[in-house]
Amino acid sequence: MDSLRLYFKLIRIAFQARMQYRADFFTGIIGVITLNVVNLGLIGILVSRFNNLNGWTLWEMVFLYCLWILGHSIYSLFFWHIRALEDYLIQGTFDQFLLRPANPFILFIGREVQYLGLADATFGIAGFVLAYTNLGLHWDWVKWVFFGLAIVSGTLLETTINLLVACVAFWTGRSRRVGGLIMQLNSMIQHYPMDIFGTTFRVVVTGLIPVAFMNYYPALMLLDKTDRLGGWGWLSYMSPIVAILMVYLSARLWNFALQRYSSSGG
Amino acid sequence: MKIFWAFTRQAFHNSVVFRVEFWLRFLSIFLWMYTIQWVWRILYTQRPGAFGVSLEQMVTYGVLGMALETFMDVGPEWYISQQVRTGAIDTDLMKPLDFHLHMLARSTGEMLFSLGVLALPTFTVGFIFFGLQMPPTLEAGLLFAVSITLGFLVLFHLGFLLGTLVLATLDIRSIAWAYYSLISFFAGQMVPLWLFPPALRAVAEVLPFKSAYYIPSSIYIGAFTGQEALQAIGFQLVWVVILTLIARWAWSRMDARLVVQGG
Amino acid sequence: MITVSHLKKYYQRPVRQEGFLGSVRTLFSTKYETTQAVDDISFHIDEGEVVGYIGPNGAGKSTSIKMLCGILVPTSGDIKVNGLTPHENRMENARQIGAVFGQKTQLWWDVPVIESLRLFRDIYKVSGAQYKHNLELFNDLLDLHEFQNTPVRQLSLGQRMRADMAAALLHNPRLLFLDEPMIGVDVVVKERLRTFIQQINHERKVTVLLTTHDMIDIEKVCSRIMIIDHGRIVYDGNADQMRNQYGKQRTLVVEFEEHVPDFETPHAKIVKSEGRKKWFAFNRFETSPSSLIAHISTSYPILDLAVEEPEIEAIVRTIYQGTAEVA
Repeated sequence: MDSLRLYFKLIRIAFQARMQYRADFFTGIIGVITLNVVNLGLIGILVSRFNNLNGWTLWEMVFLYCLWILGHSIYSLFFWHIRALEDYLIQGTFDQFLLRPANPFILFIGREVQYLGLADATFGIAGFVLAYTNLGLHWDWVKWVFFGLAIVSGTLLETTINLLVACVAFWTGRSRRVGGLIMQLNSMIQHYPMDIFGTTFRVVVTGLIPVAFMNYYPALMLLDKTDRLGGWGWLSYMSPIVAILMVYLSARLWNFALQRYSSSGG
Repeated sequence: MKIFWAFTRQAFHNSVVFRVEFWLRFLSIFLWMYTIQWVWRILYTQRPGAFGVSLEQMVTYGVLGMALETFMDVGPEWYISQQVRTGAIDTDLMKPLDFHLHMLARSTGEMLFSLGVLALPTFTVGFIFFGLQMPPTLEAGLLFAVSITLGFLVLFHLGFLLGTLVLATLDIRSIAWAYYSLISFFAGQMVPLWLFPPALRAVAEVLPFKSAYYIPSSIYIGAFTGQEALQAIGFQLVWVVILTLIARWAWSRMDARLVVQGG
Repeated sequence: MITVSHLKKYYQRPVRQEGFLGSVRTLFSTKYETTQAVDDISFHIDEGEVVGYIGPNGAGKSTSIKMLCGILVPTSGDIKVNGLTPHENRMENARQIGAVFGQKTQLWWDVPVIESLRLFRDIYKVSGAQYKHNLELFNDLLDLHEFQNTPVRQLSLGQRMRADMAAALLHNPRLLFLDEPMIGVDVVVKERLRTFIQQINHERKVTVLLTTHDMIDIEKVCSRIMIIDHGRIVYDGNADQMRNQYGKQRTLVVEFEEHVPDFETPHAKIVKSEGRKKWFAFNRFETSPSSLIAHISTSYPILDLAVEEPEIEAIVRTIYQGTAEVA
């Protein structure tokens, strides 16, 4: 509880620091919204011309994309700088986290916020409302709860994948590029329903880098769709569990990396 | 000509230093090609007639869009904005070389480097794995070469103009996001303009962006031939001239401001 | 307060290979070499001491300070800081130490100084009364109120250093590590910080370990000097002692009535000539200034003269060079 209270205090300062750069705020928001509109626009053009993509209609694909963006927005608001871990290590800022009588991880994640997440959130909510109406959905409370869980799981998955990759910097000194690539791959995948790709690809994004749990699998459940490949349907409920597993894994790696850091001196 | 090679060599040295980055870029292009050709194949099996061209042509168009990106867009905006922010632009201004020409030489050097080192393996991979085809005729191949040269010049000048914005905003990162997404959309990098809804298409047809990908790729796959291809190249040429004039004007404004501010 | 015995810290560093082939090779296999950043050092510091910790860059100063803070785990050897082993009780140890790193501020860059201080109050769980009392003290001694509402990035280096110093002492640490706190700070602020360090040391009995390149810092505030080079402590004692031990050399500066050529003198050597002035270096155990003057004045008429004691900086340099030759 102490850690949580400290985290909120840190976040308050981080917001205050961000507000120093207001001009950036507006261009940033416009930039992110344009990016999302164009991403969806391309899909829109294709799907509207072909009526559907492998059985996924336009609004189903908007739903798929926005489900990811909603989880992503929380990640990019609070955890974006995890990818910048290597800068903290190179510049020696990381030592300061170890100098305090508090959990270094809390000190690290509380260090920055990235307001661009707000643009993602706005876009995600708007897109979701449109998709929900256009698809004529009427969810019961189970679906709404699962929807919430799916978003939080998405955030946790994106955060932990980034953290796992960022920790590589404790060994190699560099990790940002790899992280950037994986996230680029991720955002590409989130545009399309997974079942258009082959099995090898599917295994990679399910088992190796579980990005498919951010939106594809929970979307199957939320939209009452069945997977084309068959046999993968049970995975549609697994996002929260996979997220917890990833949290556990990344916490282990983080602690291990910290030990390594203090014995090798970075 | 000597100066182009100097920048090409320098680009090579830089990329040896950042070799991890180099391989990652290659890998990410590979994955994009993979995705685009899957999407096209699925869509084609759904409605074979809807592309207006054959599946081979369509896949070639999509994969080519990615392959071209490896060397077409060298991003002079990053160099300019970095120089201005760090104040190193002073040393550029002191060189006995017109800044616009200097940037053109630098970008061309980097483009030649990427062409040799990134684009060739990318094209090879495209041919082997993703069904990239050769241009149907020799004529199409030659026109394509002319067209990508002009497309490069259009992209370079757009980037140059974006770079000069740094004086107004100091940080072009967030603007750049919007810019890049607009480019890839209106340039028809993955989805050709003839698939656009009519209203969007009308806008995209007059904007300079289509010079970068849509025109060269369409010529390459043989969707534009004869008169149509020549007209498209004429369109590129006009935009190169217009953008060159705007870029030189913008730079003279920026130059005056830098001199007044004392850097 | 601090007891360090046979402390060692070895690093494994990958060896970079030259050239294109070399860089390809490093992709597959990497060779390592061992650097001995800290190589068997032992010392003891009592409560209330102010110790100057000096040495060239890369000598092992920062590594040893990091071990004292618990950030690094030693390869071997023992550290006790006020009874605690830092790397085993990092958090507890963190409460009793304060640290200032001159190169790097620990304050939040974009928010007013006071916000950072409030955050440190929460992180260290400083009581309201103590926080208030300390803030008043820092206002008196460092004029903190002049800039406490300014974001750190707008502060001058001197102001930033004062703010950092306040942040490091907010939780009443028993021990203060100052790693080059004076770097780039102007003379007036330097003087002020020195007075502040002395005051904190006297009034609160805070033990101070100060890393610096500025020998005036050492002479003014340090009761003791430790010199580290190549990971070993090459000198440990007070400043006067060091002068006696290493400062055998004296310089006689003679101004002649007219220009004179260089000439031989027994037991002394001309090290510098400038106009009509000449500098004679001699070992004070081999000859005395008076006999030297007597000898010189027989050859040439002297207008003025002075004997220079060696600067502490020069002594430190000879000590470094001494170890370099041994190594």
